[in-house]
Amino acid sequence: MAVQDVIPGPQPFADNARTLSRKRIMRHAGLFITLVLLWEFGSRIGWLDPLFYPRPSNIMWSFWLIYVQNGNVWYHLYATMSLVLMGWIGGSVLGIGLGALVGFNPVLRRFLKPYVIVLEATPRIAVAPLLIAALGFGASSKIAIIVLVCFFAPFINTLSGVINVDEERLELFRSMRASKMQVLRKLVLPDAVPIIMAGERLALTAALSGALVAEFIQRDEGIGSLILVYTRNLNMASAFACIFTLTILGFLIFKGMEKIDHYVAFWKYESGRERVSLKRRSAMAQVGASR
Amino acid sequence: MKADQIQTYAPDQEVVVSGRGVGKTFADGSVIALQDADFDIKRGSFVSLVGPSGCGKSTLLRLISGLIAPTSGEIAVHGTAVTGPRADISMMFQKATLLEWRTALENVLLPTEITGTPTKADKNRAFDLLKLVGLEDFAFSFPAQLSGGMQQRVALARLLQTGADILLLDEPFGALDEFTREHLNMELMRIVEEVGATAIFVTHNIAEAIFLADQVVVMTSRPGRMAKIVNVDLERPRPLSIQTSVEFNKLVVDVRETLGEM
Repeated sequence: MAVQDVIPGPQPFADNARTLSRKRIMRHAGLFITLVLLWEFGSRIGWLDPLFYPRPSNIMWSFWLIYVQNGNVWYHLYATMSLVLMGWIGGSVLGIGLGALVGFNPVLRRFLKPYVIVLEATPRIAVAPLLIAALGFGASSKIAIIVLVCFFAPFINTLSGVINVDEERLELFRSMRASKMQVLRKLVLPDAVPIIMAGERLALTAALSGALVAEFIQRDEGIGSLILVYTRNLNMASAFACIFTLTILGFLIFKGMEKIDHYVAFWKYESGRERVSLKRRSAMAQVGASR
Repeated sequence: MKADQIQTYAPDQEVVVSGRGVGKTFADGSVIALQDADFDIKRGSFVSLVGPSGCGKSTLLRLISGLIAPTSGEIAVHGTAVTGPRADISMMFQKATLLEWRTALENVLLPTEITGTPTKADKNRAFDLLKLVGLEDFAFSFPAQLSGGMQQRVALARLLQTGADILLLDEPFGALDEFTREHLNMELMRIVEEVGATAIFVTHNIAEAIFLADQVVVMTSRPGRMAKIVNVDLERPRPLSIQTSVEFNKLVVDVRETLGEM
């Protein structure tokens, strides 16, 4: 299996991103507000067709409507999110499990390789209608679509993480007469954590897209079906409110995964190293008070 | 070089590592990495293997460690033939090869974890070893928080944590800057003497080889073989300034001439 198959995860924001000066933040905010105002007045004056490009003020009003006054978005948000979560977990378990299995078994790897290449070349989403035909309408086929869409990144990343172990470190473990299980538990798996996490991040983003596609096909519930309904009724402001909801959701997912990454792959970040270092020190101070 | 020619050791010292006709070829015999090496290394001695790249010095070290098997001949450690990695031998590499998700202390404890569950005494010992290499204040730091020299110190403490009395050092400070290297060499001499271990040290730096060792094995390449054994009878402890002495430079000339002949 080619090492180059690695899908590099999005680089985590540099730690110094937070040190953006107040001045720069103001500049960015200024530009943003100008653009929004341009959009608003462009729509009022008639530069933009308000039917397809609703005014920002209307979109804000729709936010109020769907979240507070009618409150109908919550149900769909919940439906989409539970789909995303279940599909993502399913895809991850499958991806990491198969990736590790194939990674540790060279024979299996040789036999599976052509299928993996075929699967990689095929847009997975194209299989969605077939899945619905096979599993019928309902949650199960939707989840299956998401699993299919987000399975690949964890699979490939786990695989490459497990295969690419530093030769010198392997030699160190061999010289210490470590068992296969010890090499796995103390070297290979922890070493693969960061790259697996990068795969998980991609998978979660893919899961959100997968959920939307699934809801576009089966429009019974979820944000995807809500967008369809609003667009059909030419209620573009509400459709935009839904899209921006997804923007916020995507951002939160990204941030959330970053947070998780800071915990499970803490040694990759200065802040994580400092935090755990302090924790270990105080844990040792409590246990080993004798010293 | 035959074993009976290396007779300058004190007779009461016991041989802990010996080799007879040791050879290693790679690529189905087309590359001769080491040819016909005979050696006896006595308890507590510090032996340097010096030579150009391709002279088989690293190969010899890995043969002794049991990581690779000889093509011909036999190596014995403490009187038993080496058939694979063993508990009385421990090896240190040019890269620190620390696990970056473990603190310095946890890295030092790794060999103990491999052989069993670390006890409180093991942890104390690991702590003491970190103190020995001058890193007691960094026991809870992660490798990425340490400099290259400090990382090698952790690797040295880990090497000692194994409890092995034969230490194999494969250019352990080769990737560090000159000053750090000199400093760590001094530390290494002090520590090896303190724990009373036998050390086999691979380097391509002639002065370093002589400075550290009781015996310098000069190796030459194509095919890799042991060309000469130079005894270093300089008094210990040796200050850095010894490297400018006449005796020291005579030894350098001796080694250099042996290497130059080839």
